[in-house]
Amino acid sequence: MTPSPVVDVRSLHVRFGEVEAVAGVDLQAQAGHSTALLGRNGAGKSTTMRVLAGVVPPTAGSVHVAGWDVRTHPLEVKRAVGYCPDVGGLVPRATPWEHLQLSARLRRLDSWEERARDLLERFELGDVAHRVTTGFSHGMGRRLSVCLAALHEPEVLLLDEPFDGVDPIGVEATLDVINDARSRGACVLVSTHLRELAVQACTSVLVLRGGAQVAIATAGEMAGEEGARAYRSLLD
Amino acid sequence: MPTAASWTEVRRASEDVRHLIAFRASGVRRPLVFASVVSTFAGLTIAAAVVPSFIEGAGSQEDYALDAVLLLPTAMAGLMFLSVASAIASGGGRELLSREHGVAYPVSPTTDHLGALLLAPLNIAWLIQAWMLLGLTAYGLDTDTLLAAQIGMVVWIAAATAMGQVVAWSVEAVRRTDHGIVAIRLVGATVALLAVGLQLSGRVGTTLDALQTRWLVVGFVDGFNLRWVASVGVELAILVVAVALGAVPAHLAARRQPRDELKVESGSYPARRLPRSPFAGLVRTDRGSVWRAVPMRRGLAVLAIGPGLVALAGGLTWSQMTILPGLVASGGALLFGVNAWCLDHRGSLWRESLPVSPAAVFGARAWVLTEFLLVASFTTIVLAGLRAGPPTSAELAALLCTWVVVVLQVVSAAMRWSSRRPFAVDLRSARATPAPPVVMVGYSTKLAVTTTLTSLIFSGLAMVDAWELSVIVAVPFLTWSLVRMLHARDSWTDPVQRARVVTTVAG
Repeated sequence: MTPSPVVDVRSLHVRFGEVEAVAGVDLQAQAGHSTALLGRNGAGKSTTMRVLAGVVPPTAGSVHVAGWDVRTHPLEVKRAVGYCPDVGGLVPRATPWEHLQLSARLRRLDSWEERARDLLERFELGDVAHRVTTGFSHGMGRRLSVCLAALHEPEVLLLDEPFDGVDPIGVEATLDVINDARSRGACVLVSTHLRELAVQACTSVLVLRGGAQVAIATAGEMAGEEGARAYRSLLD
Repeated sequence: MPTAASWTEVRRASEDVRHLIAFRASGVRRPLVFASVVSTFAGLTIAAAVVPSFIEGAGSQEDYALDAVLLLPTAMAGLMFLSVASAIASGGGRELLSREHGVAYPVSPTTDHLGALLLAPLNIAWLIQAWMLLGLTAYGLDTDTLLAAQIGMVVWIAAATAMGQVVAWSVEAVRRTDHGIVAIRLVGATVALLAVGLQLSGRVGTTLDALQTRWLVVGFVDGFNLRWVASVGVELAILVVAVALGAVPAHLAARRQPRDELKVESGSYPARRLPRSPFAGLVRTDRGSVWRAVPMRRGLAVLAIGPGLVALAGGLTWSQMTILPGLVASGGALLFGVNAWCLDHRGSLWRESLPVSPAAVFGARAWVLTEFLLVASFTTIVLAGLRAGPPTSAELAALLCTWVVVVLQVVSAAMRWSSRRPFAVDLRSARATPAPPVVMVGYSTKLAVTTTLTSLIFSGLAMVDAWELSVIVAVPFLTWSLVRMLHARDSWTDPVQRARVVTTVAG
């Protein structure tokens, strides 16, 4: 018997005034698996991630995360989720450690400091833990956002463009975080436009175009030259 | 790199200013509203320059009309002082294009300087002072000479603003040198001490009488003649020289790094203990966002201390002091409060993903804004009260009630506007404002009108020998503000509204 999905999205629509950012996405993601949302800019990846994180409410359709309906139980969803947003994601005049403290306090975490220090070290942010983030480079900001999403070992890890502008060591650390999460049974969703990294990080791939899904494939099917051609044909 | 602007540079900068204005104008969301606001302000300016001349006794060269003429030189100097202070506080003046948006474009410091000059009038304090100057002239002088005098005044307003800009750019250029911040603070303290010294020695009147603005006013009182030509000619010369000269320190400042911003960005903030509660955690984060921002710290210092020192020098009575909390609270809200959610900027999406009730987030933000305004206005009240002697119970009650009432009025309005019209703003630079300049003028006008009218009511109550009256009158004001604040909270707790705000401020 197939276990019930941790992330269950059916016919999701999100509208901002006249613009339909997401026009009918279906997505089921299981515990212990990582799913990539692939697509060009404006395909609806980030909006879908924002809905899953409880940041943007769906206009239509049903969205359940960790068994909770995002529309009726947003707080429970936020407790279950660790979210790295696509833009910035950092409070400009707070330090990394203060971000971690706020997250720990609001999530009622105990004994979180050691894990926080470990994450900062793995992402090479230990030296800047007490500097405000406004002076951070784009890559540093991305890396810290991944740390913040992973701090509480969430049931659902949502990483939106985590590799964008990140150096190879940061990419490596992010891939480790994804693998760790998957191996402890978390459901991981990674939104990116970088096919090769998506294939490397995930077990399955959902391709979005114009706000709607156009294909679901295994990572293997999207790998290599053959995968690149298939992906390209899905985008046109 | 040249420090002075060549004519080619000036011509190119003028063209760039035109393009930037066109760019900004294309972003106006409601053109009709914008046109009506501009027309209203133009109408008010014309009214200020004309209507007082129809008041009985205007231009009679006696009583109040004579006083108005005698006050003109001081009022002209006051406008210049205000132009200097506001341009210094905003790090050289407002930006036509924010640094973040303009970073990819070749916007020269000369363009920046000219843009800041154009934006200087979009400041309610400047507008009120300019209207007062035009109004005093209209009331004090005969209608036969009014046109000549008002032309002279308009040129003076432009010249004083340009001089303010020169001083502000120079201060900014010095502030960005090795020991610039200390040097500027020392100069500021010296100026303040000199002002106090003049006041204590009773030489304020003599000093004001010696101001050269009197020479200019003498040229205005007899209509169009050679003396008028001399006065206006001097003003025009000052205007042209100041506009051109301002580009020099603007270039110097642009070459140097803004040290106070860099200090904040590279400074280390040691870890503190975990906050006692989730609410305390939210408040701590929001406080950091406010108190570590250069525009907020600099603006608060000017707002809290400036009016306090002026009141101290002017020897305001306790009943007159009721005007101060509203003035300071309004100015404080304009530093960030009118777009309070922009404090999180790109962190707003992450913050919104944290498991905490939206009402608690709203409460923390409103509280941090409230305490910011309370601190600023309390500092002003303390400074102003130093020479006022002990207040009566009615005066004290009226002042305290005004303080609480206007702060709550301002916080309630600011939180409503923050949800209604959010903007993606990075309050990193001292020159940043939480909303576009025209929107800021609208906000500042609304705040100034509301708080001034409220303060005048309590000012009247301070003269009634019954302190209970102020408390009784304060109750409906507080209730109304609280009700409106609850409406603002309801708007924020609505998921669709909140998502709109959060995604907007995240940019």
